[in-house]
Amino acid sequence: MTARTPGSTGRRLKSPPGWPWILPALIFSVGTLYYCIGYTGYISTLDWDGTSPLQQSVGVENFVHLFHDPIFWRSIIHTVIFAVSTFVMQVVLGLVFACLLHSKLYLRTFYKVLIFIPVVLATATVAPVFRQIFAADGVLNDILQAVGLDSLARPWMANGAFALIIVIMVHVWQSTGVTFVLYYAAVGQVDPETIEAARIDGAGNLRIIGSIIWPSVRGTTIAIAILTAIGSLKTFDIPFLVTGGGPSYATEFLGTLIYRVSVSYAQVGYGAAISIVLLVLAIVAAIIINTGGRRGERADV
Amino acid sequence: MFEIRRTSTRVWLQILLSVLVIPFVFPLVAMVQGSLAGQGWGNYATVLSLPLLPGFFVNSAIIAAAVIVLVLICTMTASFGFSKLRIPGKEIFFWALLACLTLPGVVLLAPLFATVTRLGAYNTLWAVIVPVAALQVPFTVLLARNFVDGIPDQLIEAARVDGANVLKIFWHVMLPLTRPIIAAVGVLVFINSWNEYLFPLLFLQSPEQQTVTLVPSYFIGQYNNDQTKVLASAVVVGLPIVIAYIFLQRFFERGLAAGALK
Repeated sequence: MTARTPGSTGRRLKSPPGWPWILPALIFSVGTLYYCIGYTGYISTLDWDGTSPLQQSVGVENFVHLFHDPIFWRSIIHTVIFAVSTFVMQVVLGLVFACLLHSKLYLRTFYKVLIFIPVVLATATVAPVFRQIFAADGVLNDILQAVGLDSLARPWMANGAFALIIVIMVHVWQSTGVTFVLYYAAVGQVDPETIEAARIDGAGNLRIIGSIIWPSVRGTTIAIAILTAIGSLKTFDIPFLVTGGGPSYATEFLGTLIYRVSVSYAQVGYGAAISIVLLVLAIVAAIIINTGGRRGERADV
Repeated sequence: MFEIRRTSTRVWLQILLSVLVIPFVFPLVAMVQGSLAGQGWGNYATVLSLPLLPGFFVNSAIIAAAVIVLVLICTMTASFGFSKLRIPGKEIFFWALLACLTLPGVVLLAPLFATVTRLGAYNTLWAVIVPVAALQVPFTVLLARNFVDGIPDQLIEAARVDGANVLKIFWHVMLPLTRPIIAAVGVLVFINSWNEYLFPLLFLQSPEQQTVTLVPSYFIGQYNNDQTKVLASAVVVGLPIVIAYIFLQRFFERGLAAGALK
């Protein structure tokens, strides 16, 4: 910033050209990714199975088909349900854990480790146990039978609504650790004197969380909203590995739909069209939330 | 944060915390318990005696190491350039990079597959390393640039007045000062590439080339309905990373949380 301060320019050395330094990242990352995006855009106008030399140009037909595809719209609805419910659950759980672990309780590190272990495990590693828990002869039904609630036992994965709930629950299980760590840091930044003053005025613990901590960690909540929105559009591993997108498309997301169409059905052109739509949605979501969040912050001040 | 005036409050909060943690532990317990059903430790003996098993770990380690090296080289040079050097129109380049932040890997599926087969890279580790690394760079550059922006320009200027060239400044001033962000980026990239599932699934055909994330599906293929061995294999695959996390807690938490700290 000294560069722009008048008066200091006289003695200042001219800073050397920087473009060679950003070249590796630009060539490697931007080059690879933009090449792929452009290629996807081109493929999205084709009728192609991905391997045969036979490629037929169909213009925007794939996109027209897409907007009439009920499974595409179901995937969008699932993504929205997933985004809203995982956001609410992660925020509530993350904040509650952050506040609890900032209190003087026993074994805090132990609890923190337990909440964070799911974050470091690959979905591929934990998917088998979730399939096992919710299977018709699985752990959950065994427990229900053991406590005499036989009537509640059912093949959970065979029911569309429950399958979607399972996908949501697995995601919350896996990422609450991250929201917790973020909130933990944010709650640590809250001025203790403000809390003390509120306490002297007679505010209880819940009142302090609602009126002091929640507004103070607003920036973190917005960051989590952005992560959740983009993360939801990217959702692939959990529905693919735990429910397989089923039963009968009940847990289909855009990612699993692209995989199903491109790999299983070998309709690569159509898959590329869905990819382009997904890309546009991800960028639009990021822009909307970012500007919306900024405006909210300014309004606050 | 909660004020604890009475012992009863403390007991209640401790109970609340314990109850809330149960759902997080339950799947892990079910995993270990399930892996010990049937033949007990025999399941682990079967999994560990598989001659291919070390290969899965070696492949994952090679991929993770190569991705970390590639990402760190691109990230540290670029964040230095963007933050401290003169580049005409640099914000345009920066935004070109940031636009890739939201890119889901699955979107690249078709072009990557076509390119990888054409280059003869199918079933080689490169087919996984390059896209995984390329997808992480935009994010890590954003992270590292924010950090480098915090380093005072005067330090760089002082080094230049003392006659250091840009290369020397990068090596002797910039890198030592950015160690915390190098560690955070390293851990973040390690977890992401070690846990990567889609690209190995698509591009690594033979078991000799596959990664740890494909081990459970390999065992599902091998022992059809024997869930106990599948779960034992999942525990074997998951354990090293859990141990690594427990020993390096702070780095892991900082690295993975760094993602959201703008």
